[in-house]
Amino acid sequence: MTSRLRNFLLAGTGAATLAATAMPGAAIAQDQPLVIARNLEINSLDPHRAFCDTCQIYLSSTYQGLVKLAADDRSVEPLLATEWTTNEDQTQFTFTLDPDAVFSDGSPVEAKDVKWTFERLKNIQADPSFMMNGLASIETPDDKTVVVNMENPNSEFIGILAAPYVGIINSDVAMENGATAGEDASSADQAETWFLANSAGSGPYVLDTYRPDDELRFRVNENYWGDAPPITDIVIDQVADAVSQAQMLQSGGADIAMQVDPDTASTINSPDITIETVPSYNFIYVMFSPGAQGGEMLDLEVRQALAYAIDYQGAIDFTVGGEGELQAAPIPNGFPGTEGLPMPEENLEKARELLASKGLEDGFTLDITVAQLNVYGVDLTLLMQKLQQDLARINVTINIQPVASAVWREQIANPGIPFSARFYAPDYFGSAQYVQFFGMLADTYWERNASGQGKVDLVNDRETELFQQALAASGDKMNELYHEIAMEMIKDRIIVPVVSPNLILAYRNEIEGVRYSACCNLPLAELSRK
Amino acid sequence: MSTYILRRLIAMPLLLLGVITVAFLLTYFTAADPLTSIIGERQMNNPAVVEAARERWGLDRSLPERYVIYLGNLLQGDMGTSFRTRQPVSQDLMVRLPATLELVIAAMILGTTFGVVLGVLAARFRDGPIDNIARFFALVGASAPVFWSGLLVLFIFSVQLGWLPGPGRIDSRAIAPPFLTGFYTIDTLAAGDWAGFRSVLMQLILPASVLGWTVTGIVSRMVRASMLDVLGQEYILAARAKGAGPLRVLIHHALRNAMLPTLTILGFSFAYLITGAILTETIFSWPGIGSYAVAAARGLDNPAIVGVTIVGGAAFLITNLLTDIAYALVDPRVKLSRQEGA
Repeated sequence: MTSRLRNFLLAGTGAATLAATAMPGAAIAQDQPLVIARNLEINSLDPHRAFCDTCQIYLSSTYQGLVKLAADDRSVEPLLATEWTTNEDQTQFTFTLDPDAVFSDGSPVEAKDVKWTFERLKNIQADPSFMMNGLASIETPDDKTVVVNMENPNSEFIGILAAPYVGIINSDVAMENGATAGEDASSADQAETWFLANSAGSGPYVLDTYRPDDELRFRVNENYWGDAPPITDIVIDQVADAVSQAQMLQSGGADIAMQVDPDTASTINSPDITIETVPSYNFIYVMFSPGAQGGEMLDLEVRQALAYAIDYQGAIDFTVGGEGELQAAPIPNGFPGTEGLPMPEENLEKARELLASKGLEDGFTLDITVAQLNVYGVDLTLLMQKLQQDLARINVTINIQPVASAVWREQIANPGIPFSARFYAPDYFGSAQYVQFFGMLADTYWERNASGQGKVDLVNDRETELFQQALAASGDKMNELYHEIAMEMIKDRIIVPVVSPNLILAYRNEIEGVRYSACCNLPLAELSRK
Repeated sequence: MSTYILRRLIAMPLLLLGVITVAFLLTYFTAADPLTSIIGERQMNNPAVVEAARERWGLDRSLPERYVIYLGNLLQGDMGTSFRTRQPVSQDLMVRLPATLELVIAAMILGTTFGVVLGVLAARFRDGPIDNIARFFALVGASAPVFWSGLLVLFIFSVQLGWLPGPGRIDSRAIAPPFLTGFYTIDTLAAGDWAGFRSVLMQLILPASVLGWTVTGIVSRMVRASMLDVLGQEYILAARAKGAGPLRVLIHHALRNAMLPTLTILGFSFAYLITGAILTETIFSWPGIGSYAVAAARGLDNPAIVGVTIVGGAAFLITNLLTDIAYALVDPRVKLSRQEGA
């Protein structure tokens, strides 16, 4: 070996050693930041303009609502409000605030902050503003009492208040930085840029830094009025794809990977990593639009026939390797009213019979578009290809054209898409949001789109009537009413859920407290290191 | 020469205006309403929300009105606000451009160094094992898709061997340096953060190597071909006859002349890599301008699309000019002809 070559090799070994020492170590010190690998896709950090999955994690960690969703993902618990009462007809809600609650700047959480927050959410006219639909007035008889009056009964209001988007904002700080809650808030509010660099809540963490498409960094709220969270610094690191997330987890660069799909998870065989599969409240559905251009033949019987021709279990196996659940109605399993609903059934004989009764035994052709998206581990184009094969069995030909999601959203409204696939994730725990979005009530998103903006009458009066009753009911009665609504939605055969993909939680063994929450995705304050 | 440069510099704003106009018009005529990237599905049926969004983002104005307002704002350095990040586009670009430049410069340094060395060796040992290895290396570098090679090197060097870190510009547990230039290598040094500097260098190795591999492939083949051509020239024979050593002939006489066509390729490669580093940035979670452009296009983020187009256009114009200048500096004949032309 020449001396030059030997020197080169020695230099190489030195570089490798230097590299190894620079690597994130196998044992991470307790005070080191916890790293979560995730595709951020944040649309805003302003609590009243933000509307995304990562936003739910962020907002539920930096802000607090009057109530919170309990760990059972069903019931609500006190948070900023120690107690609340509701009047008989579900139109008035009275809250008593915790006297110890303070914002991250140390100032107390007061009734004026609650009033300001709710009014801003309503008036800013952004994505989560629907949560304050029907808000009539707010009274603040004293600093610690808030009375919310609704125009109409809303039994879901307490559930809505557990949503991360309804976290209470420090109104003084926000107003100093351009925020306003007035009726002209949609144009006068100038605080969004400020909210991208600052938080103004009372949650266990505060925003440290946010760099779009790079990282979202939290640090512990020094003035937190509850039990201090075990981890002081948390970073959500932008990692777009599942494979890179898994690689980062295996190399120790990340402690938790949030969007690992079943295929990728099956390739992880490190003894240092825990992989848990849990049911989610997200679901992928197909929809039929008889009012869309080219969808004229899709009357109720034909929609029923197509729904019967779908191999649901096969679709789950094909898209998420069996890691998913069947779902009966466009209300996720486990939400109010879903217990005991009949699961979708594949029945080719019935499908053929129904088509024959309409003189369509020779089938027909549908030209459709689908958004090029991989969401919750499901590639929508692949799903449609699977359904294409299923429907071919009853002589229905589907011509699929994948398009950008934005284009799909334009087309679904005009000229409409007769048959396609989409996804939904809960904004809070409660069934009303699904009825308001998927139900065949006048002017809901899907009533408008499926009917071709009113070309076909799809409004289900029974559903409308039941929904009004459900909003005015509570407890078991409310559950029964949502059950009836869900049955009506199944009968509509406009929205047909295909799969509720399971969620894969992949994390390093030393991390504890990783769980999926229906409102908040991943509750950061519950995380700790062994 | 100076007249030529001046003329090119004067033409540049006009060319950029053309680029801006075309980009602006194209975003207007896309198949979808940009509102779909601003408002979620649920609220698209709510006229009050739709109207508020149109007004807030200026989408209620006519195209000429928007164009004039945009140009007016642009003259003041305001490129609008991104629909997606909700931050000023100029601010987004100020952060992302240095990230991409840092990656591309590192890739160019690695790619060019290896490319020239491989090319010279391949020419010197023509048709021998070194030439064949260089050919294979160049072929793989030029043809291997980055989404494959990127994931592969990450798997080998980060996951399996643990020698190099995974995706990102700096260790996720470390804090990014205070913004000075946006180049993390410079900013960590300026902050006296040696651990940060080491982390940044380690993070650069894999993405720069993957991105630079393409350049290595192209440069090595170009240098080899040019070297073979030059080595057959009479002046090389003359140099040898005068007693110049093999290394001097190879480097001083042959390589310098063989570098001329390579310079053109390098200039274009640099501009190409700035806008073409998209896949590398995605695989390595590198928050640069490439991934920004893709996200902007996917999300119909029109202000960001136009902003990136302006930066891309400017990058091509500037590197083109610099290439021409470098060309003239290296080759006296070009210098003369430019002067005459001017």
